[in-house]
Amino acid sequence: MENASEYVIEMLHITKEFPGIKANDDITLQLKKGEIHALLGENGAGKSTLMSVLFGLYQPEQGEIRKNGQVVRINDPNDATALGIGMVHQHFQLIDVFTVLDNIVLGAETTRMGFLQKKEARRKVEELSRRYGLAVDLDARVEDITVGMQQRVEILKMLYRDNEILIFDEPTAVLTPQEINELMNTMREFAGEGKSILFITHKLNEIMAVADRVSVLRKGRYIGTVNTADTDKRQLSNMMVGRDVQLEVVKTPASPGEEVLRLEHFSVPSHLHKRNAVNDVSFSVRAGEIVCISGIDGNGQTELVHGITGLDRPNGGTVTLCGENITHDSIRRRGKNMSHIPEDRHKHGLVLDFTLEQNMVLQRYLDPEFQRAGFIRQDAVRSYAERLIEQYDVRSGQGPVTVARSMSGGNQQKAIIAREVDRDKPLIIAVQPTRGLDVGAIEYIHAQLVSERDRGKAVLLVSLELEEVMSLSDRILVMYEGELVGELDPRQTNVQELGLYMAGAKRNIGEGGSAT
Amino acid sequence: MKGFFQKEGTVKLLSSLLSILTGLVVGGILVLIVGIFSKNISLSGAWEGVRLIFAGILSTGRDAAGALTWGFNPANVGNMLFRATPLIMTGLSVAVAFKTGLFNIGAPGQYLMGTLGSLMVALSIPAGTLPRGLIWLLAFLCGCLAGALWGAIPGLVKALLNINEVLACIMTNWIAANLVTWAFDVSNLKNVVENTKTGYIYKSSYGLVNGQYVADQGVSTAKLGLDRLFPGSQVNAGILIAVLAAVAVYILMNKTTLGYELKACGANRHAARYAGIRDKRNIVLSMAIAGVLSAAGASLYYLSGNTEFFWTTYQSLPGEGFNGIPVALLAMNNPIGVVFAGIFMAMLNIVGLQLTKLTAYNEFITDVIIAVIVYLSAFSLVIRMLLTRRRHREAPPAQAQAKPPEGAENAKGGDET
Amino acid sequence: MTFLIQQLLLYAVPLMIVALAGVFAERSGIINLALEGIMIFGAFVGVLFVRAMAETEVFSAAKSAGNYLTLQGLEVLAMLLSAAMGALFSLLLSFASINLRADQTIGGTALNLMAPALVLFLVRILANQNTLFSVDAASWFMIKKTTLGYDRKADLGFLGNTFVDKSYIATYICIVLFIVLSVILYKTRFGLRLRSCGENPQAADSLGINVYRMRYAGTTISGALAGMGGFVYALTTANCTANGDVAGFGFLALAVMIFGNWKPLNIALASLLFGLFKCIAATYTSIDINGDGHFWLVDIGVSPHLYRMLPYLITLLVLAFTSKKSRAPKAEGIPYDKGSR
Repeated sequence: MENASEYVIEMLHITKEFPGIKANDDITLQLKKGEIHALLGENGAGKSTLMSVLFGLYQPEQGEIRKNGQVVRINDPNDATALGIGMVHQHFQLIDVFTVLDNIVLGAETTRMGFLQKKEARRKVEELSRRYGLAVDLDARVEDITVGMQQRVEILKMLYRDNEILIFDEPTAVLTPQEINELMNTMREFAGEGKSILFITHKLNEIMAVADRVSVLRKGRYIGTVNTADTDKRQLSNMMVGRDVQLEVVKTPASPGEEVLRLEHFSVPSHLHKRNAVNDVSFSVRAGEIVCISGIDGNGQTELVHGITGLDRPNGGTVTLCGENITHDSIRRRGKNMSHIPEDRHKHGLVLDFTLEQNMVLQRYLDPEFQRAGFIRQDAVRSYAERLIEQYDVRSGQGPVTVARSMSGGNQQKAIIAREVDRDKPLIIAVQPTRGLDVGAIEYIHAQLVSERDRGKAVLLVSLELEEVMSLSDRILVMYEGELVGELDPRQTNVQELGLYMAGAKRNIGEGGSAT
Repeated sequence: MKGFFQKEGTVKLLSSLLSILTGLVVGGILVLIVGIFSKNISLSGAWEGVRLIFAGILSTGRDAAGALTWGFNPANVGNMLFRATPLIMTGLSVAVAFKTGLFNIGAPGQYLMGTLGSLMVALSIPAGTLPRGLIWLLAFLCGCLAGALWGAIPGLVKALLNINEVLACIMTNWIAANLVTWAFDVSNLKNVVENTKTGYIYKSSYGLVNGQYVADQGVSTAKLGLDRLFPGSQVNAGILIAVLAAVAVYILMNKTTLGYELKACGANRHAARYAGIRDKRNIVLSMAIAGVLSAAGASLYYLSGNTEFFWTTYQSLPGEGFNGIPVALLAMNNPIGVVFAGIFMAMLNIVGLQLTKLTAYNEFITDVIIAVIVYLSAFSLVIRMLLTRRRHREAPPAQAQAKPPEGAENAKGGDET
Repeated sequence: MTFLIQQLLLYAVPLMIVALAGVFAERSGIINLALEGIMIFGAFVGVLFVRAMAETEVFSAAKSAGNYLTLQGLEVLAMLLSAAMGALFSLLLSFASINLRADQTIGGTALNLMAPALVLFLVRILANQNTLFSVDAASWFMIKKTTLGYDRKADLGFLGNTFVDKSYIATYICIVLFIVLSVILYKTRFGLRLRSCGENPQAADSLGINVYRMRYAGTTISGALAGMGGFVYALTTANCTANGDVAGFGFLALAVMIFGNWKPLNIALASLLFGLFKCIAATYTSIDINGDGHFWLVDIGVSPHLYRMLPYLITLLVLAFTSKKSRAPKAEGIPYDKGSR
């Protein structure tokens, strides 16, 4: 009666509640041996909770987990490892200051009398790395290697533990299209050897390319499981969102006007290494166009924006905004003509312990409208916040006096967008404005940015999502290792070509050259 | 009633009261245990100690039969208010820094510098050259200035070099202790008139007349009739100044743009910078304000005219400085709450003196109680959560209990030293 | 010179061991600001034990019998006891910061307030004065020429005069312990796991490492070392008196730890440097550097106040110049919560 079941892992009728919400409501997920199974759902659909249950981090209120038909209890990650389950987390679980080898053996060390025995481990890792073509430098520190190599380290961690069930949580977010192809080949290879793969994602293209079957979650509920061969992207997105989704952004061709922002030979030093994070970059943004900076995460986009907005000090070149040289101006003076939707809404965008109304005047509390002789005009702040909340449909428990921390991610982002758009400046810098949001909020934010463009604003967008880049921008600039390597017209390029630029394999801007 | 209990302020108050009660109970238990094991202390002596811990402020001594007597003791209450003055000021100092995200453990050093600044000025201006009130004011302001400079140092190294302000404060504390000893050592302000005591500086009520220090020729804080209200005590107008300072700090932090900036820096330094607020300037400013408040506390204490300063202080730091921390914690950094917390701490102080005077115990037990209260304040968040849950009776599942209020601690992040 | 080196060791070694105490806590992710308080508590417990032994005449018996091994054994016993109580005391910090996710800075401050208060309270009751001891108990434990059977006037050579005569076994135990623990931190499974919890507890947890247990281990080791360090400090530099006063020594150790970049070897060197200044501050009147009978540090006429201020001033300056490069364990000070992954 071995292998009584055709499934290696079954999660049956899992229900997991938190105060106020059912994160998982009667969810069933069955994984066959040797298949690639996609788990599809929006942010907040309950995918992470389900995986935490599988890893014993949460105990479900109802439901059971079976391995090869046998009911098992998983109380902590050790139990999961013992059952051969391994996972590549979306945010890599690596110790930055440890070497690659230390990271791989951590938690599964070979020891003699408590002392680490690394020779044997090194041999095993080297062999695995050769066999699957997962090139890594075992003695490098994790903080010094590329994101792609970090992901290979994560995969090697699973292989080192002889895991048979491999879970990939949103593994493609940080990769170029070419690296994504490589990863998919590796996944197919694993499946071919009889390992079972669970592939968590919200990207439909990737599912169609690699998965055998798809299970869909929506708002904590199980929607269904389909064979990829029997479905299409439209049906899947319908299952994921629960309605027809506008996959394309509706916008008219841009009609660029005057130049608003100009960078010349702009450089910003790095916090991490001795080279410049942004090196000799020149470009301009005109009124009425959306220019998108595209590239793999960590190629200098963050520093570029910090250099323009004043959060970092540049070490070369100039920034001109509305005809004024602002290269050495304070953050506040720059704010006179630009608004900034920051990359990290919790770090920069909001003071989480302030109320919504306090956050709404974060840059403007010194305006005569909101203060008199150094005393804040509380009533003016209140009515201003009420207007923004109304106008931009920001939902919160107690209106203006809601503490920002207690709001949902989507509404926090809406509040930032309301604040920045309402400041009504000629330049809007938006960095990953839709990260981590659900489809409804993404649609809303895209529409806002397009309408601001149509009102004659210059929009500088930084995005890692290729689909967003392709659909929203009027002009694409590609950044690679701190330099601009390509300028592309989204109507005349495709994702594959963009990927080659992002990986540094192609460039159409010479070194020190400029994009107009 | 339900609305009252749901208010956040009420929960904070309850959790503070709970901390106080626990601290007192721990102190009482300690006294009992020591009483049981000590050969020198009888069981009834231990019981007296416990009673004094809880109600020492109402003690009036012993009667002819040797039993403790109780009642309103105006001297005790007046002295309590007098001792509360510096505690309220250092409490405000710690609270202001806290609101800006800084842990001002440097209050003892700022307090010492305030002592140095105010006493030096008060005793150096010859009596009669200026009106007494003006000398008092000058001395007070110089004390504040010294405190501002001393507070700004850890602020500066934090802002510019990103050194953990706790370590910087500790070092400046000890530097201040040595500096103050040094300065007084080379000065001629050592009290040689009253031969019974050595190691003390003249009281501020001594004035310089023809190169000689003479009693009652110097400055002392106005009493405003408070001495008649609490006869036999040291109370003076300082307590009123402290209360005014608390109100001023409240207005500063809650009603002004400067307060908004300071709080923004404290709650999220990155977001403040993003918004164009000069975070470094505000860190220095906040520490300087904290320094002024601590130093003002010292000035008020030592300009009273009847307090004297033990100048060889290089091996010890003033408790009034450290006790600003529990005062601020108990008050949950609310400036008005600081007034009450300061008075409570001063009451413990009086209780300690009563213990020393009337029993075989000593005043250090009150420091233990204070330490317990600080310890409990460290996890006041958890206590508050417990209180909240008690009221609602909607016990969430075990897993969820482990969740903090949305990573409240994580947002603060570690201090990069 | 011999005197200077001896004195330097007496100050540097406790500093080193207490700084290592800081490393074990912080590498596991807990900021142990309570080092000072734990030292005070450890010193009190150790000295209390010595006092109890003295009262029961154990020392005088051993001494008159010439039984020096017993005396050394008692010294080690006192060290163990203060380590154990230091560990116990540090549990207050672990409980607050690990289980209750309290603010570690405030928790540590509470312990720093609690230790001297408790010690002074008890000392007053036990001894009816401000110090626990008035006899020179340290001389019982000091290894002298006579201890080893040499004549009082025998010359043991430079090394013997410096490192054997007038030394304490405690100093050498601390040095050995320092080396052993450093090896454990870097070469064992336990050390690897401990360090991972201070850098990225989420990652450690995802690999099945019990973060809470590791942090308890780190803080408890930290408490034991600090408690022992406190007693050693009291024994060797304060003639075995415990009046709740280490005058910021625990905080100096924290500075040494930061200056040493949380790495044992650097810390050993840094504690020599800091120990030197502390040692000058304490003994500048009797330091005869080149042995010509002149006390140069006194002769140059610098105020003694400056010497006393020097360790703190130097610490601040050193921190100012090195802070840019220093790199704390990434997750230190941040409470770990299994739920919020």
